[in-house]
Amino acid sequence: MSTPSTNPLTAGTSRLVPLNHALPWIIAAVALFLLPVIFDSRAALTIMNQMAITIVFALAYNMLLGQGGMLSFGHAVYMGLGGFFSMHVLNWMSDDPWLPLPVLPIFGGFFGLLFAFLIGWFSTRRAGTTFAMISLGVGQLVASLSIIIVIFFGGEEGISGNRTDMLPFFGWDFGQQQEVYYLTAVWLLIAALGMYLYSRTPMGRLANAVRDNEERAEFLGYSQRNVRWISFCASGFFAGIAGALFAINFEILTEENLNLATSGSILLVTFLGGVGFFIGPIIGAIVFTLLQTVLSLHTEIWALYVGILFVATVMFFPFGLTGLLALHVMPWKLGKIGYLVKPYAKMAVPTLAFILSTAAVLEILFHARHAGRGDNEMTIYWWLTFDSHSPLPMIIGLVIAGVSAYALVKLAPGLKAAWDEATHMGEAGK
Amino acid sequence: MTAAAIELRNLNKSFGLAKIIQDVNLEITKGERHAIIGPNGAGKSTLFNLITGKYAPTTGQVLLHGQDVSGKKPFEINRMGLSRSFQITNIFHRMTVFENVRCGLLWSMGYKYNFWTMVNGQRELTRRTDEILEQINLTKRRDMLAGALAYAEQRALEIGITIAGGADIIMLDEPCAGMSHSETDLIVDLIRKVTEEKTLVVVEHDMGVIFDLADRISVLVYGEIIETDTPERVRASKAVQEAYLGTTLEEEAS
Repeated sequence: MSTPSTNPLTAGTSRLVPLNHALPWIIAAVALFLLPVIFDSRAALTIMNQMAITIVFALAYNMLLGQGGMLSFGHAVYMGLGGFFSMHVLNWMSDDPWLPLPVLPIFGGFFGLLFAFLIGWFSTRRAGTTFAMISLGVGQLVASLSIIIVIFFGGEEGISGNRTDMLPFFGWDFGQQQEVYYLTAVWLLIAALGMYLYSRTPMGRLANAVRDNEERAEFLGYSQRNVRWISFCASGFFAGIAGALFAINFEILTEENLNLATSGSILLVTFLGGVGFFIGPIIGAIVFTLLQTVLSLHTEIWALYVGILFVATVMFFPFGLTGLLALHVMPWKLGKIGYLVKPYAKMAVPTLAFILSTAAVLEILFHARHAGRGDNEMTIYWWLTFDSHSPLPMIIGLVIAGVSAYALVKLAPGLKAAWDEATHMGEAGK
Repeated sequence: MTAAAIELRNLNKSFGLAKIIQDVNLEITKGERHAIIGPNGAGKSTLFNLITGKYAPTTGQVLLHGQDVSGKKPFEINRMGLSRSFQITNIFHRMTVFENVRCGLLWSMGYKYNFWTMVNGQRELTRRTDEILEQINLTKRRDMLAGALAYAEQRALEIGITIAGGADIIMLDEPCAGMSHSETDLIVDLIRKVTEEKTLVVVEHDMGVIFDLADRISVLVYGEIIETDTPERVRASKAVQEAYLGTTLEEEAS
């Protein structure tokens, strides 16, 4: 559910936090500054960098999907090309550098913009399915080209470079992971603020207008095609910045950065977070990166869990995780959020039991089918060790899953009643 | 002499073999309130879409203030000072009432495809938007999502968006469709108020509205204009009465 703002000056795209005040941005900046102090391991820095890059890319993607109503299946092209060109700029400068590394994302942005301009010229003529199909075709085309034009894309190995080759920036040569983190974090702030401010300009508002009703916009003096084209270029620019940040962080780009799998996953990230909210893609990117990195350390079938989460989100919370949070704004404003504490607490245990037991069943199945011959012993949740081929653990898992599912079904009406109460304007019980 | 606000010259439109509009000639002078009536399927909406650029004519010309606009895109025609509303409510559902009207103002106030100024900081833009909201009596609904408005309010908003850009030719496609009597009265008053000193072209089924509002009426039957005259003469015309298959306009008007 969306939450239209009551303040006229923020009216428009619904959001949870009034981003036109400086405070949320200051909090974000402070948090970005402090994070590496708290999580200072190399792995944590890598995860946070990846998160930041995904956030920039997802926000850029949402300029199309959420703001402009354009469903793209090939947006990795603009991030990827921005990245490839940045890498070439980096390598070209490596012998005789005359710019420091932090300006590299500007190059990425402009190459993303250039290709969005060229491809947008024909792809934005129509919205809807036509646009989606063209984006799919172009995505596939560019991904195939990357294998064919070896001199530019480096074939299957891709291209790599050395970020420390550029000029030092106030004594930083970016050999340290932490220095790279701060570079990425600053660019994340710049890009996010830029995209937010863009959404507040006449063009940003018109992107919404064309999304809602392209015909009406035409009769107000605006060419729907030009509005889409400009939005597309802006989105390509920020995607290119994300590509350059990727090049800086990983120092390698391959076909994978351009292909349809990457394009698909950014759609998933954005949708998971919630397309109707500015911070939706940010939440989506954080959750997705955590799942991708942390979950994949513990289980081989992490992609299955991400898939289940995605399907569940689309089915039950079409406004994404942010939409789920936004649902709580109304009870909060009515001062009735307390009504929800008890039913939530009641459901917590069966929910947890259901998730853990279902996952256990899936893990047992996977282990029994894929573990090496004679390797029957498996451990789940750090301390539970058993024989994956014996029927007992499987039966226990299924029973717990069944019982907790039954408990959840039984508790659901209570939650619904509490919801009705919490979102009711009047006094309790009336 | 000054050119007519709208002039149609030998206008034809066919879809495949079906001739929807046949040899229509019409001149609407500046400041006139002109109504187009006719039985269902007569081609009223097609004629509307030809003038506003949604369709290109098969042959013939459409002139606005003496300039040929045939084949031009809707947004180009809009920039020449013609604005229209739609038979089916056509608003920006997921934007607020305020933003709906503001979108109608952006081009005419010179913002074009601007992506470097913050819209909320534009005092004059906000002031004029609020002025129009006041005119269409939607000030109280300012920050509601347009999709959540009642039907009659959405129709009023539609008119607000249409007039926002300050176009001097306003075309309304069945503005009173689906409204109750009291709502119709309100909307007719609103139309009269906001189209003062402007050229108005209106398609409408409600004869009461037509005879109340129009200076002249064109009767369209099977794609041809069979009569263009003042309400009194149209009412008395034999040809028009026959076209309505026996039902007289008197009956329809009641």
